[in-house]
Amino acid sequence: MLKKEQNDLLTQTGPGTPMGQLFRSYWLPALLTEELPENDCPPVRVKLLSERLIAFRDTGGRYGLIDEFCAHRGVSLWFGRNEECGLRCAYHGWKYDVTGQCIDMPAEPETSRFPDKITLKSYPLIERGGILWTYMGPEEKQPPAPEWEFARVPPPQTMTTKRLQESNWLQAMEGGIDSSHVPFLHRSDLNTDPLFRGAKGNTYTLTDTRPVFEVVESAGGLYIGARRNADDGNYYWRITQWVVPSFTMIPPRGDHAVHGHLWIPIDDENCWTWSYDYHPTRSLTGGEVAAIRAGKGIHVKYVPGTYRPFANKDNDYLIDRAAQKAGRTFSGVEGFAMQDASLQESMGPIVDRTKENLGSTDSGIIMARQRLLRAVKALAEHGVTPPGVDIAHQRVRSASIILPPDQPFNEAARDALIVRPSVAPVSV
Amino acid sequence: MSSAAEARFRVQAANSKPRAITVVALDGPSESVVRRLAGASWSRAAFFTASTGKPVDRGLTDLAGRTTDVMTEVEAADLVVMIAAPSGPVPGASVIGQACNVKRVMTTGLIIGAASASDEALSNTLVQLRPWSQMLVIAHADDYVDDLLTALRA
Repeated sequence: MLKKEQNDLLTQTGPGTPMGQLFRSYWLPALLTEELPENDCPPVRVKLLSERLIAFRDTGGRYGLIDEFCAHRGVSLWFGRNEECGLRCAYHGWKYDVTGQCIDMPAEPETSRFPDKITLKSYPLIERGGILWTYMGPEEKQPPAPEWEFARVPPPQTMTTKRLQESNWLQAMEGGIDSSHVPFLHRSDLNTDPLFRGAKGNTYTLTDTRPVFEVVESAGGLYIGARRNADDGNYYWRITQWVVPSFTMIPPRGDHAVHGHLWIPIDDENCWTWSYDYHPTRSLTGGEVAAIRAGKGIHVKYVPGTYRPFANKDNDYLIDRAAQKAGRTFSGVEGFAMQDASLQESMGPIVDRTKENLGSTDSGIIMARQRLLRAVKALAEHGVTPPGVDIAHQRVRSASIILPPDQPFNEAARDALIVRPSVAPVSV
Repeated sequence: MSSAAEARFRVQAANSKPRAITVVALDGPSESVVRRLAGASWSRAAFFTASTGKPVDRGLTDLAGRTTDVMTEVEAADLVVMIAAPSGPVPGASVIGQACNVKRVMTTGLIIGAASASDEALSNTLVQLRPWSQMLVIAHADDYVDDLLTALRA
């Protein structure tokens, strides 16, 4: 359990909140580059950390992320005209460049200096790995551009999607480090999903259904090891990476692409679940790309024209009770992503953690909360840069590996848990 | 049914009974942590040490020096947390772990002070705790134990 004030502290990320300050220490994924596909394309509404913004790509290809509302009369710039190196308000024609600077007021005299006095709040927007990233913190503390491996490999080797999750970010993220749910909720999909099936590790996972968990602090967050019995007295380890505040990398299976998530608050009751698949040493196959587009693996099918999952709370996630009863799915919901999201959203927009009853298998969640609380406090009270900002904390990998029974997994698998360019992931 | 408006209609009745958590220091460094913990206010936590030099199979020693039967203490617990530092032998782990096995009580092993330990020292303690821990945590800071007990409603 968490005390109410701790729960509030971790779940509220708007401007001026301590957790919001922590999120504003990082480059955050804001949009997919496909959302701004060409110069002067329509602007896109973006809500992040409870701030309403508008993203656009100007005539010169520069990206901008600025306050959604015109400084004149408060009209949404989503209705604006994206033309000639700026976004022009549809109401009276005030025009803004990608930095939020007003550059034209057609109704004012040509010599007026009024435009110089008008600047909308803006945030930088940079492209990496098919994603537009923004940094919403103080300019003087802007960190180096993100170095997550999935965003740094050549484009044919990586693919990222996003989906709307109608819950607070923390309960979504906690699902990502709660490895003990996998043998229950997802067991039917391991041997059928095209992005998971066929790996030797799946056999260990499904044979030894009582894994033992070990949680170890890392520089950037946590290693969460799930240990199962393998052959010849050795252990099969699945080592998940969690990096503060909300990055996870799921252990790989065979030569499948590696996948993971970032959870980014939209406001306190909604978040974006970013889901990536990449391979450090090869291009994604046509089959993998097709599977991702079809919503397999950790991805979803969408309500057309949106990033809202097609199976969502308004249609009870298309639950199939016959499939549940027959054991084709454990919960009746299809697909890894919506199996997770359906249950996390069912907790309510912000789960009341004063009522939960954690067990010892929840130690990863307990330690993650502790690290977040520590980081929030250190930043707010002493200005300490939180874990995960350092790019060394971002150059990490998950691993699945066979190890002798007497070794700390994080030491024995040390090389497997860091990015090694041109070296394939360690995977069983 | 998962909207903010619907969340107001959640049943407010208590949904659990208190769990008894037994915390055992397996060595000297962890005993100081357990003594600090015992000074705080807990509803159902009991604190013991196995670093007295007496074999644990003759009984667990509480922080006042009283010795009680291992099986009796384990049977009274819903969860046993064993704490050790990366250092020397912790023979108490196997005795307590076996008792937990017999009584089907969950165990959590906790290694504290890992940040400053050598790989060898950490491995040595790990090997002794691993067979008897259904959950094993290697923490850099001692205050993780406080948060663990709070989270478990100890």
